[in-house]
Amino acid sequence: MTFGGAAALSDVGVTAEAGAITGLIGPNGAGKTTLFNCITGLLQPTSGEILLDGRDISSLPPYKRSRAGVARTFQRLELFTSLTVRDNIRVAGEIRNRWSKTRVDPRAETDHVVQLLGLSALADRDVSEIPTGMARRVEMGRALMTRPKILLLDEPASGQDEQETEEFGELLLHLCAEGTAILLVEHDVSLVMKVCSFIQVLDFGRIIASGAPGDIQSNQAVLEAYLGEDHRA
Amino acid sequence: MQDFLAYTVLGLCLGSVYAIAATGLVVTYSTSGVFNVAHGAVATMSALVYWQLRFGWHMATPIALVLTIVVFAPLLGMFLEILVMRGLRGTSEVTRLVTPVAVLLAINGAATWIWFRKSNRALVPQKFFGERHINVLGQAVYFHQIIGVGLSVLIAGALFVVLYRTRLGVTMRATVDDRSLLMLNGGRPDRASLASWAIGAALAGLAGVLLSPQLGALQVFALTLLVFDAYPAAVAGRLRSVPLTYVGAMVLGLSKLYFDWVSDAGQRWLVLRNLRNAIPAVLLFVALLLLPQDRLRGAVVSRTRERFKVPTLRQAVLWGVVLVACVAMLQSLMSGSAVISLANGISLSLLALSLVLLTGYAGEINLAVFTFAGIAVIAAWQFDVGPTGLATKQSLSVMAILLAVCVCALVGGLIALPALRLRGLYLGLATFAFGIIVYQLVILQIQPLHFNLFGWKFTVNLFSTGSLTVPRPNWFGIDFGGQRAFLMLMTVMFAIIGVGLIALRRSAYGRMIVAMKDSPAACATLGLNITRLKLGVFMLSSAIAGLGGLMWAAQRRTLPNNADFDGFASLTLFMIAVVGGIGYVSGALIAGIFLSLLSVVMPNIFAKLGSDYPSLHWLFVTVLGNFTHYVGPAMIGIGLGKNPSGIAQQVMDGFRPLRKAPVATAAWVVSLAGLWLLTWRGVLSNWNFALICVVSVFLVPRLIMSVFEARFADEERLVAGEDLDLIGLERPFRASDRQVLDTALGLPVTGVPHAPS
Repeated sequence: MTFGGAAALSDVGVTAEAGAITGLIGPNGAGKTTLFNCITGLLQPTSGEILLDGRDISSLPPYKRSRAGVARTFQRLELFTSLTVRDNIRVAGEIRNRWSKTRVDPRAETDHVVQLLGLSALADRDVSEIPTGMARRVEMGRALMTRPKILLLDEPASGQDEQETEEFGELLLHLCAEGTAILLVEHDVSLVMKVCSFIQVLDFGRIIASGAPGDIQSNQAVLEAYLGEDHRA
Repeated sequence: MQDFLAYTVLGLCLGSVYAIAATGLVVTYSTSGVFNVAHGAVATMSALVYWQLRFGWHMATPIALVLTIVVFAPLLGMFLEILVMRGLRGTSEVTRLVTPVAVLLAINGAATWIWFRKSNRALVPQKFFGERHINVLGQAVYFHQIIGVGLSVLIAGALFVVLYRTRLGVTMRATVDDRSLLMLNGGRPDRASLASWAIGAALAGLAGVLLSPQLGALQVFALTLLVFDAYPAAVAGRLRSVPLTYVGAMVLGLSKLYFDWVSDAGQRWLVLRNLRNAIPAVLLFVALLLLPQDRLRGAVVSRTRERFKVPTLRQAVLWGVVLVACVAMLQSLMSGSAVISLANGISLSLLALSLVLLTGYAGEINLAVFTFAGIAVIAAWQFDVGPTGLATKQSLSVMAILLAVCVCALVGGLIALPALRLRGLYLGLATFAFGIIVYQLVILQIQPLHFNLFGWKFTVNLFSTGSLTVPRPNWFGIDFGGQRAFLMLMTVMFAIIGVGLIALRRSAYGRMIVAMKDSPAACATLGLNITRLKLGVFMLSSAIAGLGGLMWAAQRRTLPNNADFDGFASLTLFMIAVVGGIGYVSGALIAGIFLSLLSVVMPNIFAKLGSDYPSLHWLFVTVLGNFTHYVGPAMIGIGLGKNPSGIAQQVMDGFRPLRKAPVATAAWVVSLAGLWLLTWRGVLSNWNFALICVVSVFLVPRLIMSVFEARFADEERLVAGEDLDLIGLERPFRASDRQVLDTALGLPVTGVPHAPS
């Protein structure tokens, strides 16, 4: 993926397994959100392919990728600010009913997701009035309403306090236990280390390390990317 | 070949002036983020000021020019920036488009008031150096044109230096990118915005002065339209690139002159005689379609200041019934002319309803609402395929209306299809261009069009007689030909469509439309086919515009082709609809009534007051009457930045106390009904009834608020106590909240805040 000659992503290969949480970490500007934009079709990569269950979805427009099973949240919140928390989530179910063969009751499903994400107390508030951490949960609830095969979460824990992050980690583990593949971009390293079974590290648009959380913590290239070459001193 | 070269030279001369006009737009947009629709009005006002100085007061050309271009125009630009444009921060794209529209109408209204109110004066501007010229390949190139080319080249160079080689230029460009960041780095964005508006206005002024001799005699709206012609050049530069804007301007100038060449100045093909005037609009439409496609946009502003509450369906039905009942009661008291004014207003409200769906709910823009009205009338008229169309009919049939509505939906879809990838300002410009094209090539078409469709020969007369007659309906044995009956029919239609729109907004489809407005990117990642949804909304909105347009035409009975279709009427209605409250059905009602009230009724009232009190004639007629007639509608649009949610929201906020005092409210309503009865029986005069109604509408909510203040405060304090975090978010912070916060934080209760010692 290039922007006017500058390579934002180069030779990046990321795999997210069903029923597992894959972490994607890296310093600011490493290309994590750009990668999400490429996967969801908001950006068209200059080369390469995106496979979902072995099917090439690279040429599909964003809405068809969503229908194929790709859902996401956004680093910079993309909420429907004219709607309430409940309607933000409900509309995702209603959109799904327009194309899916298996129809759901959006109202009942919304209630379930609202409860699951701990949003019951805020459900009837305007979404623009709730705290950022809760707003990120709304985005996640909206994504869950599409019943995705893979869920791309872009810094979902930012804006949440320690206890909320703890609960959020439990929620992620619950979701992946149900078979959803989760690709998690997050700066809260302790959360990533706790919930991810596999981590890939991006820096300057390239994968610099991949492996289990323990391996990544001691990886020299990762330490240099985060702390600089002087960290040894 | 010689002709070709000669027309090329002339085309480049014309293109140079367009380049000056277009770069003014680009400078303003690229440094302030506001597309200055009022650019043409600034040019017009400057041309008139120049005429006044040079030919009215006989000043020397250089002095008049300097006073106009270096003093007046920049001051006007800075005035607009300080008083109007600064208030637009944090507002939606619609508000940022509408406010300059209001400025345009205000400036043009003021210009008409100052120079043209008494009679059709002929203000004839002259070229610099009069008719002196040189011959180039057999064509006269006037010194005026050569000066235009020279200035254009100079300005291009100067702009490049200012924007890319000076600190001011960098600050101006940084202002639109990130105002806060600029301030953190020591920049002064307000000063940069001021400079960009001054430069933009000066360029508009210069373009106005250079273009005005083309018209022969100065005409306010004609000159404004002439500057509109420069839009495609600015769009070709994507409103940012000065060099590309120059290329676009040259293409524009050459296109016009080449058309003159091949069509023998429009005489060769009579059917296309107006194509020359439509060329800029065609190029604008094409330029917009050929622009590189932007990727899906996320939310531009995290939270705009516009907030629209959605009533429940029950409330909507109730208010629909109240509206019909109120209009029925009021019309029974009104004189014939007052009923006509009210009916005009309701017919405009019907048209404005199409904008509630398209702009209020979906966030899309249509600046050609009246064009759809014209298309509806043509379709309904042609339905009665006879020598004189609907003119021979006594009634507007249901079939004719259905056909008109379907044709409008179809045309709306056809226009929307290529324009669907456009959003906001670009979509607005595309619809505006469409309106101009239809106006020039269809509405102004007086030639019969002959068709041969697979051997089936037929002729279509569009506006061959210059106007179309539209009868009123006669349905189910009810004759709606009378003004009062037709008013009631339109009111019922408004109520039904209004309730339908609210039902749609509350449905799953409505939520999707609103979601699309808020974040197309998020919608796409949820599986929503935005193209299809937008197409559907555009078609439905066009259908409503068609129905409203047909009723508007039937209200007028005869629709001439020389007014309301040139783009300004659509701009005005769009502006007033936003001012009324574009997200509310009641906003559309307010818009129609306001437009009718401010342009006709208020001047009439002031005229009557002027004749009743001759000593105050100057105040009532010359000042207030002219002000409301010429600039009144525009002035309310200029203040939109302060209340972007519109008048409907303000009214609802004002009447909110009534909900907490149902008994007092019921007593007030019953009193009004009693007064109506007295007026109807002739005990009370209409004027007194109107006066009492107006005064009570303003006073009663305040009275109730003051009487029950203590109770309301208690209730609100309880609510505040439940959600301390949201004090100041859901409602303004009050002094009484301090006690609640003090208690919650375990601090000594201090009551109302003390003044600092």
